[in-house]
Amino acid sequence: MSEMLIKNATVYDPINNINGDKMDIAVKDGKIVDSVTGSAQTIDAGGRLVYPGGVDAHTHIAGSKVNVGRIMRPDDSRLNNKPRTKVTRPRTGYTVPNVYSMGYGYAEMGYTTAFEAAVPILKARHTHEELEKIPIIDKGGLTLFGSNWMVMDAIREDDLDRLAAYVAWGLLSSRGWGVKIVNPGGGEAWGFGKNVSGLDDPVPNFEVTPRQIIRQLAEANEKLNLPHSIHLHCNNLGKPGNYETTLATFDVCKDIKSKRDRQSLHVTHVQFNAWGGNHWGDFESKAEPIADYLNKNDFLTIDMGQLVFGSATTMTADGPVQYANARLLKARWSNGDVELEDASGVTPLEYHPQSYIHGIMWAIGLELALLTKDPWQVLMTTDHPNGGPYVNYPMVMTMLMSKKRREKEIAKIAEKTFERTSIAGIDKELDWYDIAIKTRATHAKVLGIVEHGKGHLGVGADADIAIYDIKPDETDATTEYDKVEAAFRYAAYTIKGGEIVVKDGEITATPTGKTFWVKSTAPADGYDRMMEDLKMKFKNYYSVSMANYMVQDEYVEHPYVVETGYQ
Amino acid sequence: MQTITLVPKEQFKISVEAETITPDNFAGKSADEIGALVAYEGNAPRPLSELFDIKVDGSADAADDVKIEINGNVNRVKRIGEAMTAGLIMINGDVDMRCGAKMKGGTITIKGDADSWVGQEMSGGEINVQGDANYYVGAGYRGESCGMRGGKITVFGNANDFVGEHMCGGEIIIKGNAGIMPGVSNKGGKIVIDGDTDMPGSEMTKGTIIVKGTVKDLVPVYQREGIEAVDGVEFTKYIGDVVVDGVGELFVK
Amino acid sequence: MIIKDVLCPFCGCLCDDLAVEVENNKVVDVKHACKIGASKIMGHDRIKAPMMRDDKNGEFREVSYDEAINESAKILANSKRPLLYGWASGLCEMMAKGILLNEEVGGIIDNTASVCHGPSVLGVHEKGIPTGTLGQFANRADLVVFWGCNPVQAHPRHMSRYSVFTKGFFANKGRKSRKVVVFDVRKTDTAEMADEYVQVNPGEDYLVLSALRAIVADKADVVPDSVGGVPKEKLVELGEAMKAAKFGIVYFGMGLTQSRGKYKNIDNAISLITELNAHGKHSIIPMRGHYNVGGFGQVCAWETGYAGAVDMSRGTPYYNPGETCSNDLLMREEIDAAFVIAADAGAHFPAQSIARMGKVPVIQIDPFHNPTTEMANIVIPTKVSGVELEGTAYRMDCVSLRMRKLVDVDFPSDEEVLDKIIAKVREIKGASS
Repeated sequence: MSEMLIKNATVYDPINNINGDKMDIAVKDGKIVDSVTGSAQTIDAGGRLVYPGGVDAHTHIAGSKVNVGRIMRPDDSRLNNKPRTKVTRPRTGYTVPNVYSMGYGYAEMGYTTAFEAAVPILKARHTHEELEKIPIIDKGGLTLFGSNWMVMDAIREDDLDRLAAYVAWGLLSSRGWGVKIVNPGGGEAWGFGKNVSGLDDPVPNFEVTPRQIIRQLAEANEKLNLPHSIHLHCNNLGKPGNYETTLATFDVCKDIKSKRDRQSLHVTHVQFNAWGGNHWGDFESKAEPIADYLNKNDFLTIDMGQLVFGSATTMTADGPVQYANARLLKARWSNGDVELEDASGVTPLEYHPQSYIHGIMWAIGLELALLTKDPWQVLMTTDHPNGGPYVNYPMVMTMLMSKKRREKEIAKIAEKTFERTSIAGIDKELDWYDIAIKTRATHAKVLGIVEHGKGHLGVGADADIAIYDIKPDETDATTEYDKVEAAFRYAAYTIKGGEIVVKDGEITATPTGKTFWVKSTAPADGYDRMMEDLKMKFKNYYSVSMANYMVQDEYVEHPYVVETGYQ
Repeated sequence: MQTITLVPKEQFKISVEAETITPDNFAGKSADEIGALVAYEGNAPRPLSELFDIKVDGSADAADDVKIEINGNVNRVKRIGEAMTAGLIMINGDVDMRCGAKMKGGTITIKGDADSWVGQEMSGGEINVQGDANYYVGAGYRGESCGMRGGKITVFGNANDFVGEHMCGGEIIIKGNAGIMPGVSNKGGKIVIDGDTDMPGSEMTKGTIIVKGTVKDLVPVYQREGIEAVDGVEFTKYIGDVVVDGVGELFVK
Repeated sequence: MIIKDVLCPFCGCLCDDLAVEVENNKVVDVKHACKIGASKIMGHDRIKAPMMRDDKNGEFREVSYDEAINESAKILANSKRPLLYGWASGLCEMMAKGILLNEEVGGIIDNTASVCHGPSVLGVHEKGIPTGTLGQFANRADLVVFWGCNPVQAHPRHMSRYSVFTKGFFANKGRKSRKVVVFDVRKTDTAEMADEYVQVNPGEDYLVLSALRAIVADKADVVPDSVGGVPKEKLVELGEAMKAAKFGIVYFGMGLTQSRGKYKNIDNAISLITELNAHGKHSIIPMRGHYNVGGFGQVCAWETGYAGAVDMSRGTPYYNPGETCSNDLLMREEIDAAFVIAADAGAHFPAQSIARMGKVPVIQIDPFHNPTTEMANIVIPTKVSGVELEGTAYRMDCVSLRMRKLVDVDFPSDEEVLDKIIAKVREIKGASS
């Protein structure tokens, strides 16, 4: 029976409406409890800032895309090298760290949970091999469905039960947590080097539209009563003028109802989809209409996809956008089509503050977060490592908390940026509570893992706790941003499942976290029709046998399985 | 002026990584202090005093007043002069890989041969190789977009393949022959080859390559511009690589 | 008993449709496999027990596993420049252990890619690689190019399962749906069945690729009348055919990776394919040899950041082919101990490297006797992966699959042996520090 007591903490726990209260936190056997015995290990927080462990609902940390990034970028792997210590393995990489550094890096910042946002079913085994190797943090994966032949055929034949049965089977096969849709239909079109141009542009050869794919998958998602909503990367990402597609996409799910207390649509890294103008010449921010929409509608959430200047490795299932990027920037380009399922592309690039396009992109992410009134609706992400590596989260947090910090950055950025965005005129500064929402509470809520003990410090929650070396009472985050950033970058303590894994910014223990996945039932007749189609596709079109396709239990050694039922 | 003389105590077989041997690191240090600096023989850390006889004459406050003389064969000592900013290194023998990597200033003279990656990613200073140089003279690290960015490398003998790969600036002169593909993927700088070579300048977007000897095969991606004189000698001038819309200048006899 | 959907532990095709008949814990028949694959599964005479000898010319004596493991650990722990080579015919699980062992001993870990498709990875550093899974090519490709490879001999079921004869969703007439072109220096068996054979002068692939790139970029005017032995007219025709294809796929082999220009050939081929994507859809993929040579690249990348040739002597991974590959070091006689596992250095290394291995302690972990055994001081037999042991392998297109176990044997697995060596090395190093 291990017990721990964190005394004199200044706690921000938005899920439980705790806003800077001075309190103690008791931990027993890895969970938060009401009280502990006198023999508990005691940590005196001394009035310092305490948050629930950070949660990242959208990041790229494992699987074939990430490894493609590593393999093509020895120039990245040579960065940030640290030799092994008594407890850690050697660390390499900045935008594409090795598996060890991936886990240590999150833990150092007080993060304890991260979800890989794009898992092709055929390559899910690989994703889990890497996830299992990432130390300390808990993990999950979102499974790609948006260009899948099984999905599109069921939708074309208007068979929602068959679709739902396939989604359930696909989640089981990939040991996935939720439904990810990337550039719906675009991955299939990219199979012949094409793309879809918008919601109503039919997918070649499949005669379904992106609108139908989004709508039907959202309905199937709710039929299966999945913990997470559909998680959508919109069409036309990376193209000037795409904000119109984004707004229209929001509307597709406006009347989708969920039985759960969560959004019915999560749209990801909206920074890349809030672009105005008709071409790069008149490129401008359209964060305002996006934020307006969010301010008027509560059925959806988004994440920022904030840009960070410097090196990035872009990686996405959106194959065509990556080719366009690589040609435009004369950058290295890897592509990874996945038969019957999706595409992917990886392109390294550098974001320059003196490029007004990059400057505008930088501004859009912050505008989205600052112009949207309800902090629960916009999650802080960089779409790691697309907008920049996650180790920059602390910097982004200070940008949200301090206008002065933004002004310091603005001074480095091409002037033309500020004719095309409103960032310079935004005075809003988030407080400690807002930051707790944007970096843990709403991530957990959006993913549907609050009830599984994540993102908060209520009794029964996992004892995932971050103590930062900063006293909120004595710190003015609007001016002391350097101090705040340093504190967020290296936690005084990170406690994972009741175990101290980071002390004074150093890794002290490397337990293995669990992997969340969803096992869902589907209606029997839909399942039968689905199986018939699936067997046909394996026989004729897949290059692997059906018997060898599904991720075996051996690959998820620390599973946390949530069962849901068809409604 | 501080002169440090290093004499290897043995003929190393396992390569020694000695990025500590730079004028910047040695400036103002005594023989004992220099001897305490560490190099690695394979996985074994070894103080320089175990590897070299060390003699120090005079003293200096800064690297630009330091001369390091290495007497003996250091063809198994890597990374000598790495990231040096000033001063002089004289190697009276052969030297192993990555000599003068990331060099920013000063001079390295190698009386013998230099192994691969001499002047890797250097941005300033000068390297003279009086013998031959192996692969990748002034090239970059794997996956980097820039190799040499500035400074000058002169090889008085021959050089092996991929001279100046990914070169972005600076100058490389090969007095002898060069192996295949000098100046591949160049974005700037100048390469002069007095002898023969093969397939120069593929994917060059910017920069200049002058070949005074024979080019065995010309990569079929260059537009012939006509005859032009360089320093009074007539060359056929080509522009390319046309596939990458390059404006690199390739001069061939 | 018939075990279905068995994976084949031979080549990078990693066929997963085999049916294996097992009687009394013995494989008696293998169906659907090619001859080589079947013989791999049927097995042959294996090393029966661990063996050691001090003198490489002397006779081996049988020893216990513990003795062989302890002695191996001692050699590695006391070495300044140990090489841990091989890994290609093993499972991913043991590769991860190998990387840990390399950390413990501060050595160099390298796989067989450094003598076959290593240059492909160097090409990927330069340009990335547009590729996909084999089913994508089977379903879609209307233009199939084999460049410097001969699947008829080396990957016997490749053409029927993935590339040429198989019917796909779009390529629904199989062979008739596709135009097959072979670039090679000689007319191979694969070239015999192609629609078009393009003979390239030895060592001039790079020039031919450059000419094709110029043609695809509409800069044909700079291309001379003949390049690499191929008339310009023919090159223009090929370039146009590539541009016209809806889905083109290039499979390449060691004819491209190991000829003059090496990784620059791959770099150039990748660039050609990248540029062709402005016209249709195009992909390129290396024809990997060993069934799990791809797996090592994957495991090594996620563990260390690099796909192979990792030098841990300084405590953090350092990677630089040309400096840190097995043969770079063996040729310089730097290696002072060699650990060879799941591959045959003896059969595939150049003579100068072999000579060096003859002078240093060599530890071999392998189920089978092979030329490396001749150089070994310690031999430790293990289970045959994918026959006697289940675990992960990566197909040539980087799809990971789980190999099955067909029979039970008493031998330890590679992983178990590695675990014990690691424990012993830690004990020795701990005692000395």
